[in-house]
Amino acid sequence: MRKLILLFLVLILSSSCVVIKEYEKVYINDAEMQLSLKGMDRFETNFQIYREAASGANGGKSGGGCGCN
Amino acid sequence: MSEWYLAILIIKEILNKIIFFLLFGVTFLGQAQQENTSYKKRVLETSELEMLFSYYSQDGQNAAVSGGEGTEELTDATSTLVLKMPLNEDDVLTVDVGISAYTSASSSNINPFDGGGTATPFDASSGESRNDVLAYFNPSYSHSSDDRNSIWTAKAYASNEYDYFSIGFGGSYTRLFNEKNTEISLAFQAFLDSWNPQYPVELRGGFEGNIPGYAPGFTRFENENRNSYSTTLSISQILSKRLQGSLSIDIVVQNGLLSTPFQRVYFGDVEDFFVEDFQLADDVERLPDTRFKIPIGGRLNYYVNDFLILRSYYRFYFDDWGITAHTASLEAPIKLNDKFTLYPTYRYYTQSDADYFYQKEEAFSDFAFYTSDFDLSKYSANQYGFGLQYKDIFTKTKLFFFGLKTIDLKYSYYDRSNGLNASIFTLGTNFIID
Repeated sequence: MRKLILLFLVLILSSSCVVIKEYEKVYINDAEMQLSLKGMDRFETNFQIYREAASGANGGKSGGGCGCN
Repeated sequence: MSEWYLAILIIKEILNKIIFFLLFGVTFLGQAQQENTSYKKRVLETSELEMLFSYYSQDGQNAAVSGGEGTEELTDATSTLVLKMPLNEDDVLTVDVGISAYTSASSSNINPFDGGGTATPFDASSGESRNDVLAYFNPSYSHSSDDRNSIWTAKAYASNEYDYFSIGFGGSYTRLFNEKNTEISLAFQAFLDSWNPQYPVELRGGFEGNIPGYAPGFTRFENENRNSYSTTLSISQILSKRLQGSLSIDIVVQNGLLSTPFQRVYFGDVEDFFVEDFQLADDVERLPDTRFKIPIGGRLNYYVNDFLILRSYYRFYFDDWGITAHTASLEAPIKLNDKFTLYPTYRYYTQSDADYFYQKEEAFSDFAFYTSDFDLSKYSANQYGFGLQYKDIFTKTKLFFFGLKTIDLKYSYYDRSNGLNASIFTLGTNFIID
């Protein structure tokens, strides 16, 4: 837990160290580099929410629906 | 087979109607937009339509509906449409609608005696309750500032199935700074759900008189609502020309009826009663009426070269029901050429059991909380997946006035250490609307 918070802080602080210009973002802007879930992945995320106790922090739903089947 | 054919026909008919109304809306909005002569670059250039379909199938021998022992057979076919429409240079409306038809042992064995055969927890009853349909509607609206450094989003959600209704709303604010190298987002969501509780048939009254000695101390739930509130804080950061990552933390609070009313529990200190081969319930699961969850997740994506990208994810989760869980996944998109990409994926998941989990007949009748739902037991799971994407960046292939952008096909196999396994096929097509 502490390590994760530390990593969180490092990411925030590192924002002032690295500046990649728009014209240098050719790799970062590749569709496969997106940090959000892809549309296709929603079904897998959905069944994982139903079958597993853990949910959230992945762009999926964190409530709503009974998940009882 | 004929039931599935009928379900697919119904889904097809509903989707046809939805497509008609959505396209009518797009055309209308498109005409309205022509009057705007601003030269600002649009957030979304053209309308996009995503059509998704999945088929899910699972089996196991620890069904919660029969107290942790019995078939977990379930199949589900889901169709979803996601339409993204630029309303002007800054605003995008997304409409996400879907319908899901499923057949499950957990539904059918609420009443295991209506199928005609001998009732047993290891077979799904073929009675009417085995099928159900879930439909949902999820519109969202986003607005970007002129400098594209601020994004506001509002969203709503509604879903309905036979025994459950869910309505939700939420919003988020995203701020980009440091020349768009850093992004911080704060989101809030609330779901106000209500049950139409379906209790095991033997607890609805009428059984006590027919089975000598059978007198479960069962009471119905008074509160039939379930509310969920979540707040998400996330930050993403470009770390180099080829590396970027994000961290996200959710705080989730749930209250109300968090038990599932048809999941049976068998006590160790109560005499067993059977009808045919099916053991009658001593009670249904009883879980606390509040739950506090904290998941913390991180993603790290690395562009190795023009052929290979690594997408990694890790999540730590804990809640006040005593569950801690770890999730790790790795996806390695391999670009074969400018049209085809392969997606091998692997995911590992492990969790501890909830404080209230007991296997069949391990709980005692004087306990305050108990469940035999193996989704809350201790286990680990491996998931292996393989996908293929076809991409046409010039959208040369036309279907009416849709230009095909991508087609995705994926298969995943999920294997849990307590015997449950599942397969899921997903098909996705993405179109640009000319």
